[in-house]
Amino acid sequence: MSSLLILGLGNVLCADDGVGVAATVALLRRYQPARGVRVLDGGTLGLSLLPELARADAAILVDAIRADGPPGTLVRLEQEDVARAAISRLSVHQVSVADLLDGASLLGRCPPRLVLCGVVPESMELRLGLSPSVAAALPALIESVLREAAALGKPFRERRRKQNVSVDDDIHRLLGL
Amino acid sequence: MTHIVVDPVTRIEGHLRVEAEVDHGAVTDAWSSSTMFRGIELILKGRDPRDAWLFAQRICGVCTTVHAIASIRSVENAIGARPPPNARLLRNLIQSAQAVQDHVVHFYHLHALDWVDVVSALSADPAKTSSLAESISDWPLSSTKYFTGVKARLKTFIDRGQLGPFANAYWGHPAYRLPPEANLMAVAHYLEALDFQREFIKLHAILGGKNPHLQSFLVGGMATPVDPDKQASLNTGTIAKLRVLINKAHDFVSRVYIPDVLAIAGFYKDWAGIGAGVGNYLVYGDYPDGDEPGAPLFFPSGIIRGRDISKLERVDPLRITESVKHAWYDYRGGDDTALHPSQGETQPHYTGPKPPFERLDTNAKYSWLKSPRYDGQPMEVGPLSRMLVAYVSGHPQVKKHVDGALSALGVGPTALFSTLGRIAARAIETIVLTEKMQSWLDELGANMAGGDLRIHDNSKWDPATWPKEAFGAGFHEAPRGALGHWVHIKDGVIANYQCIVPSTWNAGPRDGAGLRGPYEASLLGTPVHDPEQPLEILRTLHSFDPCMACGVHVVDVKRREIVRVRMQ
Repeated sequence: MSSLLILGLGNVLCADDGVGVAATVALLRRYQPARGVRVLDGGTLGLSLLPELARADAAILVDAIRADGPPGTLVRLEQEDVARAAISRLSVHQVSVADLLDGASLLGRCPPRLVLCGVVPESMELRLGLSPSVAAALPALIESVLREAAALGKPFRERRRKQNVSVDDDIHRLLGL
Repeated sequence: MTHIVVDPVTRIEGHLRVEAEVDHGAVTDAWSSSTMFRGIELILKGRDPRDAWLFAQRICGVCTTVHAIASIRSVENAIGARPPPNARLLRNLIQSAQAVQDHVVHFYHLHALDWVDVVSALSADPAKTSSLAESISDWPLSSTKYFTGVKARLKTFIDRGQLGPFANAYWGHPAYRLPPEANLMAVAHYLEALDFQREFIKLHAILGGKNPHLQSFLVGGMATPVDPDKQASLNTGTIAKLRVLINKAHDFVSRVYIPDVLAIAGFYKDWAGIGAGVGNYLVYGDYPDGDEPGAPLFFPSGIIRGRDISKLERVDPLRITESVKHAWYDYRGGDDTALHPSQGETQPHYTGPKPPFERLDTNAKYSWLKSPRYDGQPMEVGPLSRMLVAYVSGHPQVKKHVDGALSALGVGPTALFSTLGRIAARAIETIVLTEKMQSWLDELGANMAGGDLRIHDNSKWDPATWPKEAFGAGFHEAPRGALGHWVHIKDGVIANYQCIVPSTWNAGPRDGAGLRGPYEASLLGTPVHDPEQPLEILRTLHSFDPCMACGVHVVDVKRREIVRVRMQ
């Protein structure tokens, strides 16, 4: 069975830099992933995420990205453009994402399908929580991840009841996610 | 005279800047500056000393564990707690795993590209690469087919116009001297080392619950239950898993890392005469091989001064002081005082230029690192210091490997006082540790089998058992060198806390007497072919394994725009 990795990236301590993580956390609260889908808070782990990436047939990265357009603008990149953007256009943790993608491609282990769902950040200063423009774009960002997953044959289902409270959940709330 | 600024751009962290004057093709002076304030010492004041290690460990996420170890030792020293043998063994295993992983990553991922020209690897003949690889090691990944595959992936990668991890180096620089085949072999091992290090450090996840920042330390021992027969404990199964990891590490280090270092060093023997620096070497010693106070240390302590290996001095920690003459701190007694860390002060006071700036005023204060001194002298710390002191002490395993490396390269012991010496010493330390780890694991297994399941001394856990006031010092040989934590406990809480970390010894600025720190001194006389591409400066700086992301191959030479450099 094919597998899909959805990877939220960024540093939640640096405001909008953490939007990728915020999106995956919010996504999991409301939606149930299909079988073969793994949703992961990749933080700023960089190369340590290589085994996760290597075993996926497709990956959707969710991240803050520098691009034309005002803060909150959604950006979609795929395949080669993702690695290219990682070098110059992702945020504070850009080098760690570039490391990950470069390592995967040098080792011949990059997933055949790669999509990035990004949003233009407003602020990357050292604080918890998203800026208003990025917080406003969060539902649309989540929608775009859901669409990409569906297009890859892995649609999410809306949860019938609220996700059980876990230790992770407490931590996420503490971090304002 | 050209003024060069090497200000490495950070990955996530990273805060080392070096300014150097170059005249007639050689460095005539250098200044090392850390551009970031640490301040964990201030965060620790007023806290429960039993919690200190959790905070202190966060000083660094690269050499994780080291500040936890130094911290618990300082508190144990203050309150008189005595970790039992199993805790000592677990700590030795955790520490040595840290060193092994860190050294492999340093050599392949942070330093090799100063010596290995990746672009040249594209013109290598895979068949000749295979012969070369088979001539230096019996490592199985050495076929023509294997190197053909690596070369093809590298070519696809570089043809795409993205050098990625290989960007921002000085490919084609005349100081690169390896033949294309050696370059291709090294690139293949660079990639293999990515997998090796990630697999090996599972040892930390097994013993510490997670990596980085292990969670199983405890003042007085470890928080890891040991019992050969219990599922929820460190049991016989765990020992078996650890043994597999340690054996794999020994395999990789003895059949890949060591042969690579010797092969590469053979082409760069002139670097055995460059980069020595202060020539004083300090080692606190570590890896206790017994449980009584004063038990022998697997890596012995000692001091070598002025590159004189005929004499070994005892270490007296009371002779350590720190100066803030050139550091952005105030001392109550003024800039001309030098304080022992037990009386140390952390009062940050930035007086440098407002960033971004072109140049530091190096006549005034110019670093966030203080200047640690022993007997008023700068000291180099790290694997080279440790291997020198062990060698001079007659340590059998160290002696065997050092003599082996020296004779393979056809050089004498003085070649160790150099940039190349640091690289060789780090590799030798790695293999000595992978050999020793097996016996610590055996000892742990034997203790457990014999029914000794003690893991924690809780006789001093209750603060009611502590003196009203106590001082403690905790020493550790971290991958990058001698690490010390000093704690002052009063009424059950931390009254004062000071750390002197290895990179402060090595990268610190000039002191009150104007003496250069080890980085600064090591650069004097370094040849620089092209000031716009100061590869030679990086070689010596990186040989110290700077813990400040200086290892990153991203360099902003003065007035060049960073992003533009990155995209080249």
